[in-house]
Amino acid sequence: MVRPIHNIVIVGGGTAGWLTAGVIAARHQGRMKTGFTVTLVESPSIGIIGVGEGTWPTMRATLEKIGVSETDFFRECDSAFKQGAKFARWTTGAADDAYYHPLMLPQGFTQLNLAPHWLGGGGGDRTFCDAVCPQGALCDDGLAPKMITTPEYQAVANYAYHLDAGKFAPFLQKHCTQKLGVRHVLADVESVIQAENGDIASIRTKQAGEIPGDLFVDCSGFSALLLGKTLGVGFKDCSDVLFCDTALAVQVPYERASDPIASHTISTAQSAGWIWDIGLPTRRGTGYVYSSRHSSEDAAHEELARYVGPRIKELSVRKIPIRSGHRELFWKNNCVAVGLAAGFLEPLEASAIVLVELSAKLISEQMPANREVMDIVAARFNEVTGYRWGRIIDFLKLHYVLTKRTDSRFWIDNVDPASVPDRLKNLLHLWKYRSPWFFDEFDRLEEVFPAASYQYVLYGMGFRTEVEPEDNEGTQSMAARLISENATLTRQLRAKLPKNRDLLQKIFDHGLQPI
Amino acid sequence: MTNVVILNSQLHRTLRVQAGASARFGDDRRFVQVIANEFPLLAIHYPVFFAKDADTGAFYCGAMLGFDEGENLFLEEGRPQSAYRPLNLQRGPFYTAGNELAVDLDSPRMDGEAGEALFTPAGEPTAYLESIKAAMRELRDGLERTKIFIDTLMTLKLIEPVNIKVGFDDGTKRDVVGLYTISQDALRGLPDADVLELFRRGYLHLIYLMIASLKQVPVLAQKKNRRILAQSESLGLARL
Repeated sequence: MVRPIHNIVIVGGGTAGWLTAGVIAARHQGRMKTGFTVTLVESPSIGIIGVGEGTWPTMRATLEKIGVSETDFFRECDSAFKQGAKFARWTTGAADDAYYHPLMLPQGFTQLNLAPHWLGGGGGDRTFCDAVCPQGALCDDGLAPKMITTPEYQAVANYAYHLDAGKFAPFLQKHCTQKLGVRHVLADVESVIQAENGDIASIRTKQAGEIPGDLFVDCSGFSALLLGKTLGVGFKDCSDVLFCDTALAVQVPYERASDPIASHTISTAQSAGWIWDIGLPTRRGTGYVYSSRHSSEDAAHEELARYVGPRIKELSVRKIPIRSGHRELFWKNNCVAVGLAAGFLEPLEASAIVLVELSAKLISEQMPANREVMDIVAARFNEVTGYRWGRIIDFLKLHYVLTKRTDSRFWIDNVDPASVPDRLKNLLHLWKYRSPWFFDEFDRLEEVFPAASYQYVLYGMGFRTEVEPEDNEGTQSMAARLISENATLTRQLRAKLPKNRDLLQKIFDHGLQPI
Repeated sequence: MTNVVILNSQLHRTLRVQAGASARFGDDRRFVQVIANEFPLLAIHYPVFFAKDADTGAFYCGAMLGFDEGENLFLEEGRPQSAYRPLNLQRGPFYTAGNELAVDLDSPRMDGEAGEALFTPAGEPTAYLESIKAAMRELRDGLERTKIFIDTLMTLKLIEPVNIKVGFDDGTKRDVVGLYTISQDALRGLPDADVLELFRRGYLHLIYLMIASLKQVPVLAQKKNRRILAQSESLGLARL
């Protein structure tokens, strides 16, 4: 007999749990009246980790699809704009060493690859980012990526968000339960009941009895209660590639209520890792992500204190362990893991929440109609998700292998070829003679990092691709036009966009219009 | 610069205001905020749209008077304007401050001896001042009512952006952005109960006036085109 998949049970109520619940419930809203259910079981006693205060621009589409108002999201999650990241002191460690990884594609990216032209001197003395895209200049000026007249979720300059993770999960919870019909059960899971074929039949809870389901989504965080503990899927450690394994996090208040809010994440390299700095309207979130093999906690604390200033004495510093890696499989039997239960990496490019979004989207769109086809869907999900984790690990490692720093063991060890994944090694070799662009390497429909991201990091960190001037000849005039168009666009945007804090205040006061 | 003060029958007894429509008095605007009560008077002359306040992003209703910055194609310098003049232009240099009427003493309309008196020699308000007071009252109540009208349309998702592209005989083109109008598709798709509610509240009438006013866009373009042609003809004559 064909067993339809009707009852989805999500275990865990953090960002991953509620985002997944929202995405699935919104996508299957029409089926709700015919008995399709989404139930989220959350432990009243286990707190949420609340990591991940930076998102990708994908979050705009995700929130819009779930049906929340962007104005409410800004107001209730203390959200702010993020136009990319500034990497300081990653290349040489000097005080003025910095580059941007913006969220806008290079001008005319779909028509022409500007990187060889910039490498050939076509951008003048501008950095790669400034030659091909306005966003670095917008970040330098502390400008917002849109105006109060720009509708919700629309951008003048592409943007993502910084948010308060502690407020995001409750915000989603309210929307999911009140608007999308998600059932919320506050209960502790005591045991997991499996069928003969290994499938999870139900979970037995302390407060709400037995909860059966057709598909279980494991959002239980680091404990990976269902996929790890119950189904025994192993963990693939990647600390041989990415060394950081500890974070010291601290929230820093603004000195004055009118202090500017950076509209980008600032990531400043240290002796054994890097410090993040994320501007919310209410406070800055900062933290030092470091390798405990390369620094003691005391030394790390000292470096963080140097960054934050003497005020750190009055602030509480939270220590968070990072176990870099992911599950060997993400979907086994009728159980799929999303969020920390699937894996975790240092938050260098805000990959945690985007992986939740991508996984939730894939589950909701590929929702198996019945148990018989679930294994096919699961195999595809594992293939795609495994590929994504691999690409993210490569991309994070890219930030480290291009360093010229030799001032500490951490940086020296990071360029050791033994620590570099083969695929990345090959790409770096290839890129010496040809710059990445879209068709040659990044062929997936939903590639996590587009070729443009690789360009921004490579050329931001001084990587050189050999360019034959003759090869550029045919497209020289088009390149010159695109570069000059970018200069014009940069001037126009700098003149018309408001300051980041001013726009956030206006959104708080007046709201953004939905159209 | 502005110098807005509360109007006072003692201090401002001899004040005179040039009330007519003229570019030098500040009527040189291509878009002016209007209220729903004015729609019947406006729709036979002007296209009426929604636009967003640059400072708050909030929607308001406005009449389109021209295509270029500072262009009011309804001005007929030296003659009284034949088309209905929106209240926001009629009010000239006057403002409301709480329940009081205020006036901008630095307005170019206050320049000199000419114009309409505000008070009789005995200190009584003149008919002109009474008409201004009435206009200000109408505007103040009307803005609130218009906001409720807009909020209702937003809730029903009846507003959509519109892009106006026009070309003129001198070969130039204009792409007017930032305007919104009634979504006729959304209107057709409304449930009966909502239509009835709109009708009872008098909103259906306003909606159709806005839709009808779109026909004024080509008329306005023709008006501009005639000016362009007249200008190039006079230039041509000058060269002869």
